[in-house]
Amino acid sequence: MIIQLAVMGVVIGAASMAAALYIPWLPDIGSKEGGRIDDLYLLASIICLVIFAIVASVSIYAVIKFRARPDDEEDGKPIHGHTGLEIVWTIIPAALVTVIAIFSGVALVKNEDLKADHRLIEVKAAQFAWSFTYPDLDITTGILRVVEGEQIELRMESEDVIHSFWVPEWRLKQDVVPGTVQRLIITPTRTGSFPLICTELCGLGHATMRTTAIVLSREDFDTWVAEQQQAAQAGGAAEGKQAFVNAGCGGCHVLADAGGTGQVGPDLDKVLPSLDAEFIRASIVDPNADVAAGYQPGVMPETYGDQLSTEQLDALVDYLVEATKG
Amino acid sequence: MAVDVLEHGHGAHPSAPPAAPRGLRRLTRGGWLRALWTTPLAFGLATALVTGARAAAHWDPVWDLQVLLTVWTIVTPLGFLAGLGAFDYWAYWISGRPARPEDHSGHGADSWKDYFRVNTDHKVIGVQYLCTTFSFYAVAGLLALFVRAELANPGAQFVDTQGFNGLVSAHAGIMIFLFIVPVFAGFGNYVIPLMIGAPDMAFPRLNAVSFWLLPIGGGIMLAGFLLPGGQFAAGWTNYPPLAEVNPVGNLMFQMGVQWAGASSILTALNFLVTIITMRAPGMTFWRMPLLVWSNFVTSLLVVLATPFIAGSQFLLLLDRVLHTNFFVAPDGGFAIGYQHIFWFYSHPAVYIMILPGFGIISEIISVFARKPIFGYRLMAISLVGILILGFSVWAHHMFVAGMAPWLRIPMMVTTLLIAVPTGIKVFSWLATLWEGRIHFKTPMLWALGFVTMFVIGGLSGIYLGSVPIDQHASDTYFVVAHIHYVLFGGSVFTIFAAAYYWFPKMTGRMYDERLGKLHFWLTFVAFNVTFFPQHYVGLRGMPRRVADYAPEFSDWNMVSSIGAFGLGAATLIFFYNMIVSWRHGERAPSNPWRALTIEWQVSSPPPKFNFDEIPQVVGGPYEYGVPGARHAVFDGARTPVGEPEKVGTH
Repeated sequence: MIIQLAVMGVVIGAASMAAALYIPWLPDIGSKEGGRIDDLYLLASIICLVIFAIVASVSIYAVIKFRARPDDEEDGKPIHGHTGLEIVWTIIPAALVTVIAIFSGVALVKNEDLKADHRLIEVKAAQFAWSFTYPDLDITTGILRVVEGEQIELRMESEDVIHSFWVPEWRLKQDVVPGTVQRLIITPTRTGSFPLICTELCGLGHATMRTTAIVLSREDFDTWVAEQQQAAQAGGAAEGKQAFVNAGCGGCHVLADAGGTGQVGPDLDKVLPSLDAEFIRASIVDPNADVAAGYQPGVMPETYGDQLSTEQLDALVDYLVEATKG
Repeated sequence: MAVDVLEHGHGAHPSAPPAAPRGLRRLTRGGWLRALWTTPLAFGLATALVTGARAAAHWDPVWDLQVLLTVWTIVTPLGFLAGLGAFDYWAYWISGRPARPEDHSGHGADSWKDYFRVNTDHKVIGVQYLCTTFSFYAVAGLLALFVRAELANPGAQFVDTQGFNGLVSAHAGIMIFLFIVPVFAGFGNYVIPLMIGAPDMAFPRLNAVSFWLLPIGGGIMLAGFLLPGGQFAAGWTNYPPLAEVNPVGNLMFQMGVQWAGASSILTALNFLVTIITMRAPGMTFWRMPLLVWSNFVTSLLVVLATPFIAGSQFLLLLDRVLHTNFFVAPDGGFAIGYQHIFWFYSHPAVYIMILPGFGIISEIISVFARKPIFGYRLMAISLVGILILGFSVWAHHMFVAGMAPWLRIPMMVTTLLIAVPTGIKVFSWLATLWEGRIHFKTPMLWALGFVTMFVIGGLSGIYLGSVPIDQHASDTYFVVAHIHYVLFGGSVFTIFAAAYYWFPKMTGRMYDERLGKLHFWLTFVAFNVTFFPQHYVGLRGMPRRVADYAPEFSDWNMVSSIGAFGLGAATLIFFYNMIVSWRHGERAPSNPWRALTIEWQVSSPPPKFNFDEIPQVVGGPYEYGVPGARHAVFDGARTPVGEPEKVGTH
């Protein structure tokens, strides 16, 4: 009896452990802090699957072994309890969850250890766009670019409702609450482009409040910084294109020249040729005043008028007219 | 006993009810006819009051929908309740007119019409609760099917994002406040007085009012779909500032919760007083069935916690309507403060939604395994442990919300520790099966399905309880999967178990066993198909509450949607079985399950006043297999309980 039960438990435990290990439940890890979280995840999985295997095998075994025959009117054995067993299944789970709590606490403290030579990035969230400011570089962009291996501290503020910052590959998430400054500490360890997602319901455009986090090598990051500063100085079309890319317009609109492929708002390559500069400007600054047929009002952020300088806005409008003329 | 207390006081109490009025006078008697004019009257008065006051003060606009809705949703339901006769007895008493404490004309049901009026019989109220809440289950389930239809593919399918957010919010709001919380009040109402050997609840008139508050709350929430700007759409958590800038539909959540919450609090008070004061002789606390124990503990939770959600929604309402600044950041408000108040209720609410289910499962497993419940006392003590710990874990919903950072570790420890009393219950149920004689009737299938599914939900809760893992998994589909494993695989499975278990007692008919089993297996498979993949897409990076998602998740979302429609089909089988069996089912004996608890020792359905003789409790409720053991005996006959029913029950 005990042997049958033990075999069943081992089989179920091994099968579920295999499912846990061979299926890629989590995206490939991309940060140092996330690595500690993945270790905890493994620890929790081992504990949980052992418990699951015990519960599953005992219930399957009991259901098969102790089922009553159709006309069996007998009662079961009147067992009222067993103090020893009851103590065991109070103490052992308590010990196991204590282990998880201790390791979790340690990981949390380590993950929030801020190094002296970190990079500070200011994050602004607004319905429904992210913007990232590098105060020492005087750059503001809608796409987060960070350096591989360099610890960053995000200081996040919201202009309207609660948003939440999440990059699944980094494993870290933090709500951005109006009236407060929220912090998040991340050390990216893998270069590449990762989705950056708002995970707190923030209104009509919540599902579209996404951008990209790009992890670069230090050289690539420096090159990007230099390009940005040049474009800002050059003005004109270069600055306009930069504004388009940095404000994340391509996340919702198609614009071939700047690599925009989003399907949320109107296709700019198609609609802009028939519109004048004044209308384009008005649509950026006050997008809900005149919404294109077939599109929902209230989705495009109303904050671009404040976010972009007059100079940048002029450059952006000029660029949009230029880029869609042919 | 309750009747005795109320008997003193006013001198004149004619025992016979007055003859039914005729002609126009029928309009003055409590009932639907009177409600037909008092409801519009109250609505008109509210409208006149608001517009009149605004016109007099020269406020523009005179017709302000937000203010009107606030006053309408308070005054109109009161007019409806007054018309229905919910306050008649108290109004007679207060105004010094002869009140009739011994008038039982409002008690019990002789025809279907008696289920549609203010009725003081706890059995009628129980059935009223169950029919109403299962209707809301159907409605909220339908909303979920719209959601799954929209999410079957990425991109926009059927609804715009306001429509989607409204569907998601209303699905959760209705399922929680109008199905899961009150459906247990329905079972409790029907079963608790019978189980403890009482003729009724302690406050039958209050009980009647408690029920009628519920359809009002539900009506208000559903009416939100008709408003300009659409349904409340900030999620069932209704976080400000979003809740404060969304269209007026948001009010319908705030006010719907007030009515449903008031219903919940009044019923809980009634349960507490009933359980404390009206137990049959010999029914000590250590002889109470665990269902009674669990409702006792749940009622304590409801009474202590529900005022907090009422407060949180009132503060939102004040911010919206009176322009106070509780949660508006630029004016000095604190958005996270709302979350603390909200979760101080809504975490205990999780236990409000599962502890009565624990009680149901203890009854069913013991009866169908033909064994005493394993570790009865520890089972009761663990309920109390959950009650106490349950109040110290609320901030685990806020690990990434930006609250005071130091709170995270203590709340994580209490959260993980609450797995201990819950684990005790699961292990004790398994031990109850051991060496039993298990009969796989439909209620038992649901009970066993519950234990396995709830364990999965509990284990995913361990992941979410760890702060660092929660930083990744919070606000994703992993959370959606977790709550559906505990609320659907958990609570709803216990609700179905209870519905089948007590169906013979309530209706006097047997349900169709084959359809019941089909319902279970279809639900069990479709449930896992729907929700298990959501663990995966959530951990991989799909956030919750989104109308659109990255194309990489489309396959598993399609699987989820197919499963959801399977669940819809299973629910149709359930409703068919319940309705047809209620009308045409085989006659039920008084004790088809050979159970020992007292509700099975009276006829099915029980007599109007439950017991012709007061039962005497002489032992524990689960003494299966103990030779000669009894739970209760009836003084007059002193027949060994259970014995006469053994013949021809299967």
